[in-house]
This record gives sequence, C-alpha cells and structure tokens, in this order.
Amino acid sequence: MLKITDLHASINGTEILKGLSLEINAGEVHAIMGPNGAGKSTLASVLAGKEDYEVTSGTITFEDQDLLDLSIEERAREGLFLAFQYPVEIPGVSNVNFLKTAINEIREHKGLSALSAKDFLSLVKEKSALVALDASLASRAVNEGFSGGEKKRNEIFQMAMLEPKLAVLDETDSGLDIDALRIVAGGVNALKSKENATLVITHYQRLLDYIIPDFVHVLYDGKIVKTGGKELALALEEKGYDWIKSAE
Amino acid sequence: MSGTLIDFCKQLEPTQLKLPTALLQAARDGVEFQHHFPTTRDEAWKYTRLGRVAALKLSPVKINQPANPLPSSETIDIIFENETWHCAEPITGLHIDFSGALDTTAWNACTLQGHVQHINALTAQGGVAIRVDANTKIIKPIRIIHRIQGEHTGLILHHQFVLGNHASAQLEVFFEGTSQDTYANVLFDFFIGVGADLHTDMLQQTNGTHYGFHTQRIYQQKDSTFALQTLTANTHFTRNDVEVFSQEEGTHTQLYGAFIGRENNHIDNHTYVHHTAPNCTSDENYKGVLSDKATGVFNGKVKVYQDAQKINAYQSNKNILLSDSATINAKPELEIYADDVKCSHGSTTGQLDQQALFFLRARGISESKATDMLIKGFMAEIVGTVKSSHIQEALHSLLG
Repeated sequence: MLKITDLHASINGTEILKGLSLEINAGEVHAIMGPNGAGKSTLASVLAGKEDYEVTSGTITFEDQDLLDLSIEERAREGLFLAFQYPVEIPGVSNVNFLKTAINEIREHKGLSALSAKDFLSLVKEKSALVALDASLASRAVNEGFSGGEKKRNEIFQMAMLEPKLAVLDETDSGLDIDALRIVAGGVNALKSKENATLVITHYQRLLDYIIPDFVHVLYDGKIVKTGGKELALALEEKGYDWIKSAE
Repeated sequence: MSGTLIDFCKQLEPTQLKLPTALLQAARDGVEFQHHFPTTRDEAWKYTRLGRVAALKLSPVKINQPANPLPSSETIDIIFENETWHCAEPITGLHIDFSGALDTTAWNACTLQGHVQHINALTAQGGVAIRVDANTKIIKPIRIIHRIQGEHTGLILHHQFVLGNHASAQLEVFFEGTSQDTYANVLFDFFIGVGADLHTDMLQQTNGTHYGFHTQRIYQQKDSTFALQTLTANTHFTRNDVEVFSQEEGTHTQLYGAFIGRENNHIDNHTYVHHTAPNCTSDENYKGVLSDKATGVFNGKVKVYQDAQKINAYQSNKNILLSDSATINAKPELEIYADDVKCSHGSTTGQLDQQALFFLRARGISESKATDMLIKGFMAEIVGTVKSSHIQEALHSLLG
C-alpha cells in the first residue's frame, strides 16, 4: 500500500529525515516510536503533503502512485488520512458542513454521486457514536471550544466518516486521559479491516496497549534504526531510547 | 483640481425636498466655502481619493410616482428604479410619504456636515419618509431597493425613518445596478423613539463603475435599540458614514459590517458613535476580506462625553488580505471623557489561516473551496446577525 524508500526531507534547510524507508501493506498496523526530534511528526507532515517540508530525495509510492506528485487534497481523496497532533480550531465552519463537503469531494473523485442529506446524517449518527462524540459537537464549529480529548475524538470521527485506506495517527494519544485514550483506540480498532492500514506515531508505549501493532519501528535521527514486533515497544518502555542510541 | 463642488451640484437638479431655509443656506454656504472636493490632506478623506468623483459627468434622475401600487409580498416594498419609484400599499400604523416634506421635528434635529451631506441637501431628488406609530409592531420587513441604471446617472435621495415610542420594525435596504460612471448619494436619518427597536440590514452590491456615498444618522431616545448590518460586496467605490447619537439613557446600538473587495474596489467604512447619555451600550464589529488590488478603510470612532458614565462600548475590526497588493487602512479611535466606562477597541489584519487551509485540504477539499469555506467562516458572525432572508440568500451565493 505504502512504500517509502530512502526518504530525505528538510525544513528551512535543516535535514530532518535522513534516509527513511518503510513499507506498509493492507491489513497491517504499524507503530513508529522515537524520541523528541527524531522526525516522527515530520514524516506525518510529509506524507500529508505539508508544503513547509521539502523532500530532497527518495520516493514514496501509495497504491502504486507517486505520492509526492499529488496535491494535499488528492492524497486525501486517494485514501490517505492524517489525524492531527494539534487539531486546528476553525470558527464559523461547522464540523458537519465541512465533512459533508469533504465526503462529497472524495466521492466525486471516485466517480460516485453525492450523499443525500439523509444518508449523510445517519452516517454522522453512526460514526459519532463510535467515538462517543456528542451529536451537538458534530454540528458545532470545527474544534471551537472543544476540550483536548474532544478534539482527538473528533479526529477519529472524521477518520470514521472518510474511511481512508491508510490512516496516520500523529501522537493522537498526547494530552489524553486514560478514558479518552480507550475511546480513541476503540474507534481506531473498530475501523480496522483487511483493506486498510494504520500508522500510529507515538512517544509512549501506552497507546499500543490498546491499538496492538503488527510492527514497531524505532525512528531515531531521521532513520528507522530498529524494527520488531509489539514486544519492541515494551522493551523501549523499559529501557528507554538510550538503549537504541547506545546499540547503534 | 477638476470640478468644484458648485459645478458638481449644477449638473444635478436643485433639491426637491422642502428643506428648512436655514439648512438649505447652510448647505449653500458649505459648498461655497469648501469650494473643492476634499483631498487626502483632509482627515476624513485621508485614504479615499475623490478625483474621479469630482470629474464625473452626471445627469440627474427625475423621479415620478407610478399609478399602481406594488403587489403585496413577503416584504413591504419601496423601489427606486430608473425614473420612477414604486411603493406597496401602506398598512395600519405605517405611513409612507414621498412628498418631500419629511418630518419637521426630524428636520430640526439635523445639521449638515461635510460635502456629501451638502450635495445631498442641495440636489436631493426626493426620498421616502417612513413613520411607524407609537406602540406598533410592523412584523413584515420593509424593503427599500435602489436600482441605479443608465450611464452617468446620479441618484440623490434623503430618506427618513421615524419609529414611534415602543414601536418596532425591520428594514432591508438594497443598492444594485450595472451601469458605468454612476453616482449615488443616499442619506438616511433614523429617529428611534423611547423603547423602540429597529433592525436594519443593508446590502450594497453594485456592478460597474458606481460611486456610492451612503450616510446613516441615527438619533436614539431612551431605552431604544438600533442594529445596522452593512454588507458591501465587490463594489467599485463605496463610502459609508454611520453616525449614532445616543442621546438618552439605556440605549443599545449594534453596528456590524462585512465588506468584500476585489480588483480595484475601494470600500471605506466610517463610523462615529456619540455617547452623550449614561448607561448605554454600543457594539461594533466590522470584518473585511480583500483580494487583488482592492483597498479597504475602517475608521471607527467612539466618543464618550463627560457625563456619560457606565458606558459599555466595544469596537472590533478584523481583516483578511488575500493578495500582496490588497490594502487595508484601519483606524479605531476612542475618545473618553467619563471615568466609569468600559470601552475596548481593536483591529487585526492578516492572511488566511494556513494551518486551517492545510487541515481542510488534508481532508480532501480543494484549495479554492477550502478558501471559500474559511472566508465564509470568518464572515459568519456578521452574516449570522442579518435577519433579511433576501440578503442572507445574496450572501450565500456570494460566499459559496
């Protein structure tokens, strides 16, 4: 589904990703862990197409297409979803209105007709229940006045509505208490299928108690330095990142 | 400098209004004394050049009344179109008059200031005087439409709206037209009686090279409420002057505005709120979005007089510039002579929120649609206060 080969990326002339390679197949859950400044969020931003980052070399193919050739919105329409670490507040733009526009732009891209208002609303009802998002939050302005937990649940709600092929969760666990974490993880697990894949980017092992990864990668200084199963996350939690640094 | 004020007035018809002699004389003295149109050295016109206006060749509209009244609709309509005006049948408690006599007490309250008001007094072709009886609620909105058609048309009107004590009404005002080199100078005097409530939505949406001067003067009595939403959409040249006289205790005034400019549009909003009485509130919020080489001006002034204690006055102006060549000149002003008041003012100008744009695009929405959504979202708090369904519809199609 996704194949990253020898990716180098920089921001304002500073190289952050220094030869990152990663392959994700349908049905898999991958976790990327790593210390602060390793390049975790840069990877998420580069995948989504954030223009502040410059890809200096390397390739990314997504569903047999050159991802780097696609605009931000084309990537989303092809099935890439980024759950933001810091969801933005957009006063005056309602959650459901923007989602309706997004869904219909994606459907148009796929050659499907627009959803009827009735079908859309029942979808909102079904998917907001998945992350226990109050229906009133769905109709409010995007993230305006939402608590930290509500913002993250809103990200997963959007993911549920848009049904992406590959979801990239950028530190979705940050700022969540244990109950919110369970709800968010429950939502992600419920959306898991053989056809889609999930990339979980996290600092801590805690989230991986709830979203069980097939592969755990350690990102350090812009490269993946170690790959293993879910037990690698536990080892990291116990020994810290210094263990990787010294092993290198 | 081309064209004196006297020459400008001469190409138009002398006033059809029955103005008090003193006022007429004051206007004559005004144009003679000032002689030329103001320049950018004049503080009130610092950011708005009038050279093109002074050079306009105009022919006045002669206004006649048609025989048949307009059919009744969801609004009580008054239409100024070409050389005629049309009016709906009046209803109980509502008086609509075109005789040019206007309300004498209202005239007595008036003074004339500046060349726009002087030109208006000397050349007004007419205007409508609307009066709502005391203790009367007019449920149907009253709608005034100005259609400025024909090249070199000059439309000069002086309207009055007198709302009796404890009366209430809703007004919708439209300016439309597509012709080149047209001029409008339309003045409204609003007299809001004790405990009365008037909500006014105004849409200025003229195409073509139209030069629109709009003056609204509002005189508020005790415990009255006045709300004005001024919406200016892609007009070539617009100058709005809104002046509020909060004369007695307990008044509430809301002045909201949204302006959208593109190409070489020039949109200038001047407001002046006089708080001369205590225990009053005023709430002002103007938002602008400018693209291409458009220019916007916001000059909002609030003056709290010495004995006007316990005033709450808020003023906010926020602008988004969508291009490097767009310009905004923002000048919020507070002048306070009382010591127990709560006043705030602020103005911000920036670009579209790039984080928000990225977020919307990352959900599959095209850049242009995402931009439209953000602009609509930015304007939502102004548009949300508009009661007129006609204007809501117009804004909906404008903002996408």
